Parts: sequence; C-alpha cells; structure tokens
Amino acid sequence: MSPNSTDQYWKDPEYAGKAESGNGQVPWTEDAPGEVSRRNFLRAAGFTAAIAAAGCSKAPVDKALPLVTQAEGMAPARSRYYASVCGACEAGCGALVKSRDGRPIKLEGLPDHPLSRGGLCAVGQAALLGLYDSHRFTGPQREGQACDWLEIDRIVLQKLDEIRTAGGAVRLLTSTVTSPTLNGVIARFLARFPDARHLAYDPLSCSAILDAHADTHGIRVLPRYRFDRSDVIVSFDADFLGTWISPVEYAAGYRERRRIEDKPETVSFHVQFESRMSLTGTNADLRYRVAPNESGTVLSVLADLVAARLGAGGAPPPAGGLNTVPAKVLEDLAARLVTVPGKSLIISGSQDIAVQRLCNTLNHILGNYGSTLDIAEPSYQKQGRDSGFVTLLDELTSGKVNALIVAGVNPVYELPEGQILAESLDNVDLVVYCGERPNETSGHAGLICPDHHFLESWGDVEAVCGIAALRQPLIRPLFNTRSLLDSLNVWAETPASAYDAIQGHWQEHIHPRTDGADPFQTFWDRTLHDGWARVKPETAAAPTFRGAGKSLADGSASQDDFTLIAYPKIGLLDGRHAYNPWLQELPDPVSKVTWDNYACLSVAAAKESGVKEGDIIRIEGRGLGDALELPAHIQPGQHDRVVAVALGYGQETTGRFANIGPQWILSHPSVGGNGLVGIRVHGLLVRENGCLRYERTGLRVTRTGETAALASTQTHHTITVPERLAPAGGLRRPIIQETTLDAYRANPHSGSHAQHDEYKPLFPDDHPKHGHHWAMAIDLTACTGCSACVIACQAENNVPVVGKDEVRRRREMHWLRIDRYYSGEGDEIDVVHQPMLCHHCDNAPCENVCPVLATVHTQEGLNAQVYNRCVGTRYCENNCPYKVRRFNWFRYRYDDPVENLALNPDVTVRSRGIMEKCSFCVQRIQDAKYEAKRRQEPLVDGVILTACQQSCPTQAIVFGDLNDPESLIARLVQSPRHFRVLEEIDVRPSVGYLTLVRNRMGEREVEHHG
Amino acid sequence: MLKTFMGRTILTYVLVIGALLSVVALGMAVRTYHLPDNHQGYEPRQPIAFSHRLHAGELSIDCRYCHTAGDKSRHAGIPAASVCMNCHKFVTATIGAIRAEDQRAEKEQRAPRPVVSPELAKLYEAMGLDDARKPDVNKKADGVVWVKIHNLPDYVYFDHRPHVNAGVACQTCHGSVETMERVRQVENLSMGWCVNCHRQANQIGVQGKSVNASTDCTACHY
Repeated sequence: MSPNSTDQYWKDPEYAGKAESGNGQVPWTEDAPGEVSRRNFLRAAGFTAAIAAAGCSKAPVDKALPLVTQAEGMAPARSRYYASVCGACEAGCGALVKSRDGRPIKLEGLPDHPLSRGGLCAVGQAALLGLYDSHRFTGPQREGQACDWLEIDRIVLQKLDEIRTAGGAVRLLTSTVTSPTLNGVIARFLARFPDARHLAYDPLSCSAILDAHADTHGIRVLPRYRFDRSDVIVSFDADFLGTWISPVEYAAGYRERRRIEDKPETVSFHVQFESRMSLTGTNADLRYRVAPNESGTVLSVLADLVAARLGAGGAPPPAGGLNTVPAKVLEDLAARLVTVPGKSLIISGSQDIAVQRLCNTLNHILGNYGSTLDIAEPSYQKQGRDSGFVTLLDELTSGKVNALIVAGVNPVYELPEGQILAESLDNVDLVVYCGERPNETSGHAGLICPDHHFLESWGDVEAVCGIAALRQPLIRPLFNTRSLLDSLNVWAETPASAYDAIQGHWQEHIHPRTDGADPFQTFWDRTLHDGWARVKPETAAAPTFRGAGKSLADGSASQDDFTLIAYPKIGLLDGRHAYNPWLQELPDPVSKVTWDNYACLSVAAAKESGVKEGDIIRIEGRGLGDALELPAHIQPGQHDRVVAVALGYGQETTGRFANIGPQWILSHPSVGGNGLVGIRVHGLLVRENGCLRYERTGLRVTRTGETAALASTQTHHTITVPERLAPAGGLRRPIIQETTLDAYRANPHSGSHAQHDEYKPLFPDDHPKHGHHWAMAIDLTACTGCSACVIACQAENNVPVVGKDEVRRRREMHWLRIDRYYSGEGDEIDVVHQPMLCHHCDNAPCENVCPVLATVHTQEGLNAQVYNRCVGTRYCENNCPYKVRRFNWFRYRYDDPVENLALNPDVTVRSRGIMEKCSFCVQRIQDAKYEAKRRQEPLVDGVILTACQQSCPTQAIVFGDLNDPESLIARLVQSPRHFRVLEEIDVRPSVGYLTLVRNRMGEREVEHHG
Repeated sequence: MLKTFMGRTILTYVLVIGALLSVVALGMAVRTYHLPDNHQGYEPRQPIAFSHRLHAGELSIDCRYCHTAGDKSRHAGIPAASVCMNCHKFVTATIGAIRAEDQRAEKEQRAPRPVVSPELAKLYEAMGLDDARKPDVNKKADGVVWVKIHNLPDYVYFDHRPHVNAGVACQTCHGSVETMERVRQVENLSMGWCVNCHRQANQIGVQGKSVNASTDCTACHY
C-alpha cells in the first residue's frame, strides 16, 4: 500500500482496497427501498395540491405574555447558568444547566468539576429530552387508574402498617444510590420494619470488582481509578473511555496525560487487550485481540512476568505460548510496568471475580494502590451487589416478600431473570414502582409513583468519596410527580420537603466533614453556587492488601464456538435512555450504525461463514431458548470467535418511534418487526458466582438467508478524493496525519505532508479579516470519538431527528459528524476518529455556486448560511468538498408541544427545502460580542465556546480568534502538528487538525515517507 | 329592437359601474399594499387601553423604567404586571375621577368611596387581586395578554443590546411612542431599512461616536 496516498485509510471493510470504487470508499448508489405505485403518486399529488390551497392565510396575531411578577435580576431571553449534577447515570458528572425564560434548554459540562473537568458525555446532554418527554407518567396511578398522591400514601401507609405488625418483609430495589441524603432516608424508612432490606444492582454491573476487593482488601469497595496519574495503562476489555463506570472522568484524566505539546514527557502508554472493538480500543496505543475466555490467561501471564521481575516469585510463562498475544509483547510490557512503580494501572472489565482478584494482586505488587487506584477515597459510582438480586428473587418466588418498592430501575427488562421476576411480582401484596416513565416493570406494579426528572428536583450526590455535590431544580415539575426522597420521607412518616431533608442532612453529616472554617449557611450557599465541595472522607484509614489466591480457571470454549458479548453501546448504555431519539440516532462511534442493534462479526469470521453486512444471522446454542436473529455488522478488529451485540435495545418504550421522522409514501418505520427498536439481549446474560456475566460461550452462528438494511452512516459523506478526480500530477493528500511519539520527539513535523508541496494561491488574498477571524482546531490525539460533541451540537442548534429510514437514505441532519477511519488490513487495524464539520473556508466552493447568495462569507471569516434566502438548489452541497451541508428534505416534526420546549430559542428552526450546516455557533459569538460591548470590555479568548467545544471531555476542540495573537487558536495554528484537510484544493478552511500521535513501541510504528 | 337597446344600456351601465368599483378597490388595495411580513402602520387594540402618550409623554417616564432589559438582553421586554403596581398600587384612577368622587361624597355627606378606573380594574383582575388589591387565592393570576406590535419573522434575531448601548434612541425604530395614545408600528422594519441605517451609522456614527455596525448576514440571521 503506497504510504503517500489516501488509500491507507478506509471506512467500510467491504470496500477496503478496491481501487475501482474510489479507494476504499463506497460508490454512491441510489437505493430505492420501495416502488411508487400510480395510485400512491396520484394520492400524493392530490394531497400536495390541497396543502398548497390551504397554505394561503393571513399573518397570525402574535401575543406577548409578560410575567405577572418580575423576579429580581431576570431579563427576558437572557440565559442564566446553574451548577448542578448530571443525573443520566451514577457517574455524577458536574453539569452546567442553561436556563432561559424559566426553562432549562441545554446541559453542559461544569468547568473545574473535579471529576468531569468541564466535560459532559452524549448521554448526559441528551438527558434534557427526558425532561420534555410527553410519554412520562403524568401523575400517580393505582392499578392503572389515575389517582392522587393522598390516595397513594394512604394505601402505602396502611399496607406497610399491616406488614409491620405481621412482621412481614419489605424490600427496596434500586440501582446504585449516590445521594447521601437518600441513603439516610432509606435507612430511616427501612429501620421501621423488622425485616426490611435495600438491594442495589447495576444493570451494567461492576460487582466482581467490588467482590474481589472484599477478598483482597477486606472491604467491598470500588477504587477511584486515576488515569491522570498513570504512566502505563493496561486494560482488559474495560471500555473506560466509552461506557465503563465513569467515562467522562476517565477520559478527562486520560487526556491530562496526552498533552503532546505542553508535557510531551508525561504522555501515557495505553495497551488494550480486548475481544470486541470498543471505543477505548480504538484509542489505545497498542491493541491486541484476545478471546474473552483468554484475557484471564493473558493477565495471569503478565502478572507472573511482573512478579518474576520484581523477584516476588511467579510461575514461568506457559511453554506453548498464548494463542493471540506474542510472548515478547507481554515481556516488554512487564519490563515497562516495573520501571514505573506506583504509576501504572491494570484494569479489567471482566465480571469474573478470580480475574479481578488477579488484577488487584498485580496492581498491589506494582504499588498502584494509593496512587493510581484510590481506595482511601473510593468511588461510589457502582455499589450494586449482583448476588443480592439472586437472593431477592428466591424470596420473591417463594412468596416471602410482602412489599417491594422498585425505584428507578427496570429489572424485568434489564436482568436475565426478568420473566421470572415479572411472574413472581404477582405474589407480592404491595408492589410500588417509582420511576419516570412506563416500562416493562411498571406494568407489574399496583401503585405507580412517578418520579421527578433530575432537572426538576433537589438532590445531592457523593459519587466519589470526598466530593459532595448539590443538584438544584431548574423548573417546576412539568407533571404531577414527586421525588423518591419525598415519597420515602412520607412513607417513613417523617414528611419533609426534599430541600429541607437535604439541607438537614448536610448540616448534620456533610458540614462536619469540612474544616469548619465557614458556618453552615456560607458553606451551603457556596456549594450551591459551585455545584460541589470538597469534604473529608468519612473513614480515615485506607484498607490494606491482605493477599489472595489467584487460581484462574481457564476458559475451555472449543475453537469453533462463538462467544456472545453483550456490550453497552455509547448513547444507549443499559437502555435506560432508550426513549431518547437523539441517542437512538447517534451513530455508534465505531460501527456508525444508528437505530438498531446488530451482531458484530470480525472480517475473518464473516468471510468464513459467508456473512455479508446486513445479512440476518441466527445465534443459537445450549440453554439459549429461542434463537436470536439479528442483522450482521462486519466489525474489523474484533476477535474472530466473538459475536458482539449491544444491550439496551428492544425496550417497550421504543414502540413510540414507529412513526418518528417524516411520513411519506416511501417511508418505512424506524422500528423492527417486533414494533420496537432493536432486540433485547439482556435475557442472554448469565450469572456465575452470583455475578452477572456479559459473555456467553458455546454458540453457533448461521445465516438465515434474509437481509435487513442497517441505518449505517459509515459510508455517508465521504470526502476522500477518488483517484480519477485528483489534481493532474498532484498528490491526493491523506485526510489524516498521524505519527508516533518517538518520531514526534525526533521531529515535531513528522507525519506532516505539508512540507512536500506548497500550494501558492493564484490570486492575492483580497479579503483580509480586520476584526475577528474565527477558526477552530481539533486535536486528533485528544479526540476519543465519544460523540459528546454530536449531541451538544444537536441540542444547541435544533438539529432534527429524521428516523431510521431517512438515515438509510443518507439524510441524517447532524451538523457535526465524526468520521471514523480504519488503517491496516483485515482485522489488524488502527482507528482514527475525525470530527468533521463546516470548515468555514475562506475560499468557499459552496459560496460561488449559490444562485441566490444564500451562503456568503462574513467579515469575520464565517461561512454564513441564510435560511430565508435559500431556495434549496443544493448546488452548495454538491460543491462542498467536506460534505458537511445538510438539506431539509422535509419539514421535520415539531408537533409535540412538550418536546418543543427543549428547542433553543436562539436558533431558527429550519423549514423544508432549506440547506443548513454548522454555523460555528454564531448565536454564541453574537451574544458574547454584544455582552462585551455592553460591559465595554474587549472580547477575551475563551469566552466564546462553541457547543461542541464546551462539552468535550478531552478538550480536543479549540475555537477562537486568529487575529488575536494571544489566543490559544493562534498558537495552535502555528503548531508543527497543525494541518488542514484537503488543503491541496486551496479552499483555505478555517478548521484545522493536529496530527494524531500514538505512543508506540518500535515494531508497529507508522512508516513515514519524506 | 328597443328591448335589445335597453338591455345593452343596462349592460353598459353595469359594466361601467363595475369597472369604476374595480378601480376604486384596486386603488385602495395599492394604497394599503404591503410586502409580506411588513406590518407598517399596524395599530392593534390592546387588552388594556394603556396610553404611552400619558406615561412616556406627559409624565416623562423613561422608556427603560418599564422596558428594563433593553440594554442587557435581546428583548427590551414587556413589563411584568408587578411593574405597573409600583405606581398603580396607589394610583387607581385618574385625578379627575377621584376629585369627582370626592365632590360627590361631600355633596352626599359620606366618606369618599375608592375609585378604580375600568382599565386598571382589568390589570388588578389579571393579577388575581381582590378589591383591597391584595392577592386573592381564589383568583388566577394569568397576567395581561398584550398584542405584539413590532414583530420580526422567526429567522431574524434582532438584539436590543448593541443598539441601546451604542446610544441609538428608542424612537429611531419605534417612532415617537410618547405621542401615541395607542402604539403603532411606524417603520416598516424591513431588512433594507435596517441595512440602510447600519451603513449610515458606519459613516456618520451614532451620537457623535463612531460605531461598527455589521452588515454581515449573520448579524441577524442564524
């Protein structure tokens, strides 16, 4: 493969290396999913005529409704920002909530938060739609009939009284509770009964890590992993940048050790051993494909090698070597690990307690406890105990439980025993469901107590020991809901408002943990303003290592069987946000598929079994019950004996998406044959030693002969220049530049192609920018591909959701997409993520083809798209070399008045027939400029943050004014790593990228020409 | 023959009258013709007959006493009902009406009754106040639903901040509101009108200060 061409990078395995189809890129084909019949055509024609006739009417009279009582400091249309805690998962990231005219319209990262460091993931930002979800419970229900809270409380208190006097059993089932106040209230509530227990389980369980620490350290604890302190990171199947425990915190910490310019000497080295292609794997410096049953063995060999080098004993490596990982790799890694005592981190995503114990032992002998693994101030982000649920299920099936309160979780859907649980719920006298929206579990509950959305309620969070945070309500509850805290307080007969309960708890328990310098009120006010406060840990002494046996049972799967891996997908996670159309339409960062789950097979495995992309395959095996039928997706880089399927799909609530997106004569529903989005695989999970296992061995994969079209965006908007269109005699430059850390240290320009051919413009630059000149730089080394920016952009710019069928037709509307390129061959590949948005070219090809001047350049270097001028010729879209323009094929639906409250009032909602694209968040630029003018201050660098930049967990995106020599962007443009994509066509883009630098050991270094 | 002639005469008259009426109708239509979204001269009846002539003109209350956000937000804002109550908690009717009641009370030898003007009664009603102008729990405070006059299309983002802070007088765009009994849209608020002013301002400045009034599309459209 010629190194000096674009052929190195490819997007779709099916077309890799096929020169005739434009160098690894898929040729454009017009796919017609259906035929238009004459009758349908006439029907549509008649309808159009009727609409046209109905369209003539007078301008409506607009009303202006001011407030009744003016709140102090409040001005109409002026945004205010409040610090809070994101409630989309248990990670407890800081959130900055933008509130306008009394309603929250955007969730952003809270700068300086000690965990998330200003970032917020895609799920957290999309949680805004959960607030404005018209399918939520609108009020309490009793046996399916609406009732009021008084009735609920009367029934609950009466039944609980009966249970108490009869000595019955009360159980509370939740996910991990990170709220200190709620934990206190739960304890107070349960103490009222002779037999009452609180059980927490996590749908994405880390139970084995906690159980292993109980064995090795004598305390059931989840360490706080400090990626920012790790020189060497070795991860076994842990997707810590994507979905594992607290991805934003980890990504931000990881980024701290990837500062190529500022601190090149501290760049960390990350090795990933994994069986499927995770987002973390795509970012690893070295990545090895390991079968799931083999990762324990690899870990064990590594532990032995390290122990031998440290003189701590350890068995010699197995004579026959390992199947997938060369012995030298592990020896080199062990050698590297022992040179950095206390500065490495070994993690495993496995749910096998023996593997986790081994992990702990290895971390212990490397001296990592106390530095990169903090168990003195541990994490509370996952507290679930998988074995606890098994006990509960036994009690339920034998009818020993009299009252069950299920809060926030959906065990009937999330757990493999869902069906048994559902049936056993009928034996329980009192089943109360506290949650936000109807689901599989709520249907079996007699009483429904709808909970607030986290933006509607007071709350407190201590996600990591020593970091106490407050959550504040941003809007009065939209529906007749009540928080769990309130409900439990009422049922414990100590009614107090959530605010009083939290303040009381903080006064009694949290404030004494400060140094006491400030009185309580000052501490409270400051915490409320900042969103969080540092307090002392509750217990002083850190538990010590007490050793553990490390017997490891080797997996004994036959070579021919497949192992199913059920993995959480970015966006959907365990499925708790399956109601969210933004997340459903978010392309998976690696597979780029939307609106579905699918069975991932490696290139080799697919070839072997003759499976093509979109073929429906049947997965069957012992004890599986019904065979699973899913469309296949070919995922390069996956282990050959693994079939990976995403969790979180096939939920009842996704039935609502049947008619999402434009409904027209050729439209197909976004749901599958089961009426839902995707297929539930939670039923396939198994338990081992009480721990929920996400892999299942001994399966066969066969083709069914049917096919289904996945809504994949991976071949859409391809920007590689085909060979036949390359400038005559010129070079087609790669769209990506990458190098290794060694090469970068030797020559900071390494990997750059600009030195070879300078393009001199034919015409002088006759449009100098006198005021501001906006520009952006994206660091490919920092970008993990997590897609937080995609959702940030969608939320900020009112980007519509189009539905699965329209995505298939390449009509997704995301202004910012993340191009994912593979390099290498077959399954031995490297991956690059490249966010791609409007480049605001100073020589923009879109501008000079617009017949109506709807896209023009501003004096500040923005490529403006003027919606009201656009007539929709789409010439600009054709002429855009970056393929970032999006056309409104329809007037997308805005018929849900509740959901419409999430729209950003500062950005026009585009109509049908209009072209749109990234505006560099011009509404934010204008607002900052006006604000600076008002304060008569200069516009300081860093005041304007584009939506994508604001929430980026790794600060990969930098935006600013090129004409300000002090600005960060002006410095980055001078960086030797800075390059521009498609520079050879001289469109002079304002968006640049910084070369990707991989921290590689010798062998796999990228060859560089020059 | 006569019959035919008669028929023709009537037909001619009808046609002539018809033609005249058409010309008149056309003339009226041309006179009041506006481009779409141009509401120049729009003068809707408001739910409360609030007089800007009295408040801003005769009493010389500053515009920004009520439209508080003009210098700090995109919208200058229509005052909340509570702002009216700053004065109208005490001023419940015109001085004439109160004097008349006083005289009548003197004549009838009784204590004067509180006088509430019918327009202000609407305000108190909208705020859910009782006769003593205290909040009444049984009444809903729905606020006053005013009719918007200066209304730009949804794709235009006009911001008051840079204009007010640069010293552009309110009257430049809104006309002499202080002389209007009922507010009327004076200017046509078209894009050409905006851009003309921006170009002029860049040449001659605003209130003697030079300004940088952008004529980029993105100044207003995004």
